[in-house]
Amino acid sequence: MSEADMAVIKPELMKSYIWLQTADGLIQQVEQEVAMFCPMIYQEVIQKGMGSSKNYAISLPQRVNPAMLSLVLDYCRFHQVPGHSNKERKSFDEKFIRMDTKRLCELTSAADSLQLKPLVDLTSRALARIIEGKTPEEIREIFHLPDDLTEEEKLEPLKNTTDDPRIRLLNRLYAKKRKELKEREKLKNAGTGEEHVDDRSVDDLLSFINGDSKMTKASKNKKKNRRRKEKTALLNESVETDKMETNGLDFVGHDVEHGIDCQLSPSESSKFQDVEEDFFARKVEFDDVDMDDEIDPALKEKIDREVEDFARRLKIDWPERMQEILSFGQERRPVQVSLNGSGSLRK
Amino acid sequence: MKQREGSKYEIEMELDKISSLPGHIIDQILSQLPIKDAVRTSVLSSKWRYRWAKIPHLVFDNKCVSVPSEDQTFGKNKLTHIIDHVLLLHNGPIQKFKLSHRDLIGICDVDRWILYLSRSTIREFVLEIWKGQRYKLPSCLFSFENLIHLELFNCLLKPPSTFKGFRSLKSLDLQHITLAPDAFENLISSCPLLEKLTLMNFDGFTHLKIDAPNLQFFDIGGVFEYISFESTFQLSLVSVGLYANKNARNVSLEAIKWHSFFTDLPHVRRLEIQCFFLKYLADGGAPRMLPKPCLDLNYLSLRINFNDREENSAALCILRSSPNLLELELLVRSEEQNAVEELTYGWVQDHWKCHLEHLRLVKIVGISGVRYELDFIRFMLLSSPALERMTIKPASSDGGWDLMKELLRFRRASVQAEIVYMDP
Repeated sequence: MSEADMAVIKPELMKSYIWLQTADGLIQQVEQEVAMFCPMIYQEVIQKGMGSSKNYAISLPQRVNPAMLSLVLDYCRFHQVPGHSNKERKSFDEKFIRMDTKRLCELTSAADSLQLKPLVDLTSRALARIIEGKTPEEIREIFHLPDDLTEEEKLEPLKNTTDDPRIRLLNRLYAKKRKELKEREKLKNAGTGEEHVDDRSVDDLLSFINGDSKMTKASKNKKKNRRRKEKTALLNESVETDKMETNGLDFVGHDVEHGIDCQLSPSESSKFQDVEEDFFARKVEFDDVDMDDEIDPALKEKIDREVEDFARRLKIDWPERMQEILSFGQERRPVQVSLNGSGSLRK
Repeated sequence: MKQREGSKYEIEMELDKISSLPGHIIDQILSQLPIKDAVRTSVLSSKWRYRWAKIPHLVFDNKCVSVPSEDQTFGKNKLTHIIDHVLLLHNGPIQKFKLSHRDLIGICDVDRWILYLSRSTIREFVLEIWKGQRYKLPSCLFSFENLIHLELFNCLLKPPSTFKGFRSLKSLDLQHITLAPDAFENLISSCPLLEKLTLMNFDGFTHLKIDAPNLQFFDIGGVFEYISFESTFQLSLVSVGLYANKNARNVSLEAIKWHSFFTDLPHVRRLEIQCFFLKYLADGGAPRMLPKPCLDLNYLSLRINFNDREENSAALCILRSSPNLLELELLVRSEEQNAVEELTYGWVQDHWKCHLEHLRLVKIVGISGVRYELDFIRFMLLSSPALERMTIKPASSDGGWDLMKELLRFRRASVQAEIVYMDP
């Protein structure tokens, strides 16, 4: 916006206004210098000479409704003033984007149609921050996305190029198990943790654990081992007791992470859905960042206590078993790499 | 697709605002997510199933694979697997590709990915090999025709003989690289649009001839023997750091002529002379003033050893020739005292009129209260009528009081000058 242009359009000290018309027919007057901050409006004024009167109001794109227009103008009103420091601008931006996601999306759309790139960048960054780190369930809820992928599609979200028959078998097994779990869920009342543990089959427990995205780093390693283990286990039908015990540790860890008391309540299992989607989305074999969470010492004590309780219930000598499992996990490490489904090592 | 009640479906469609955003915006949102989260969006809904595959920016860094440090081979294999998977499933042009992971040492894998990328219209390429020896880049890298930004860390470049340069390259960042001497010169001169050049820790060449008419930003740090600029009239930000104490006298004829360094940079606005470069420039004596003043120079930063008379003269020469200097920074390079404690070598009388009329800020870091340093400070205070603030930060707190006592006594040409003494 050159000085010359402003001099022509704007008489001495009077603020000039231009007329804007939104898609719903509403016409309003807006301070010229604020509105001209939007490249689209600027072009309309400069190149086509529009906006000078009510009859020649600039018609704004359809995606800009009056509510969005007022938000965009708020943004422009602040930023078009040259005197603000970068810090001030940043802090304004932070406060500005605090709105519900629906409006955020609408605002992004409106800013884009007005070609206001800084605002588009700001809002898209905010949307990215909302999406980051959330489970698919959470994202669907926030953005009201229809859950319209079939079970099969979810299991193979990326059209898994692995033709490994074991993986396909596993996928089918898991899909079946998930359905069974859901049904059982609806029938059961709130019970104690042990009942759940005792009733479900090992496979269910395994799939729960493997889908569990809230593990600590330590248990993550074990879990990896178990995942490999379980692949062979399911095919060879080996010892089940090992898995039972290690399940116990994970259940408790999981619960405590969620700040819920030891007993695994049914409310936990409602997380099965997203948790297993997590697992399947992880078909591409990404690790979950959540794994890096640490348990603080107080919680750790609680976990230890509860683990011992649980072990007692299962009538097993815990410390020795713990040692065994840990060493078992270590031995298994080198083996697991070769079981990697992608077969990349076979190249 | 599951059948839904008509109205419920419509309501959901109404509420779902994000899926109907324009394509380039969704690209932008997905590109700002870590690759892991971006790929995960494929389970959200049918519209999002393959949406991620169109994102133009692919970044694979430490956030991709979080593996305990003992298991590096596993991490590396996992990373390889992820990148292979993503590249294979990706569908659309790739504009930016960044690969920087600490476990990345698999050499043949990177070759394969670069080959894949050479078939797309990639514009920005960043490759950082954290460990191991220099990674030799495959020749297909040099066929990235649309490249605008290239950033390499710990690589060995060997352009093929058919290499005609990167026609669109604007920004080049090479750190810890090896390159043959003529290859370097060729590379720079064959990138006509080059605007930004960063060179840190390079080997294979020691004579730098920078022939880049559009160059605006130049940052170099390394060991070299000769540096010259050709037709770099637009160069406005320069930072030169010579990491080793090169004795310029040994490089007799090649030694850079004092004035040519500055005449080759007529429009330089910000200049940083770091490490031993001032010593290198000063070797052999410096003129009183440069043949042509640096009229555009606004900011100057010098790493200087005040005990060295030649460096002092060099610094003064530059200051006298920069009438429009706004900000000055002097960083003391502490070397062993050469016991060349010459008595004031006619310092004060030497001072040819130096009026730094626009100088507002001066920052001096690392002094120890030696005579020459104090003289220099006194000289600065007397030559800058517009000075607003001088910040002094000593190297240690020894002799702090004495230093402050001396500073208090100095006369100042500027009424508004503040002298701020900062704790070491």
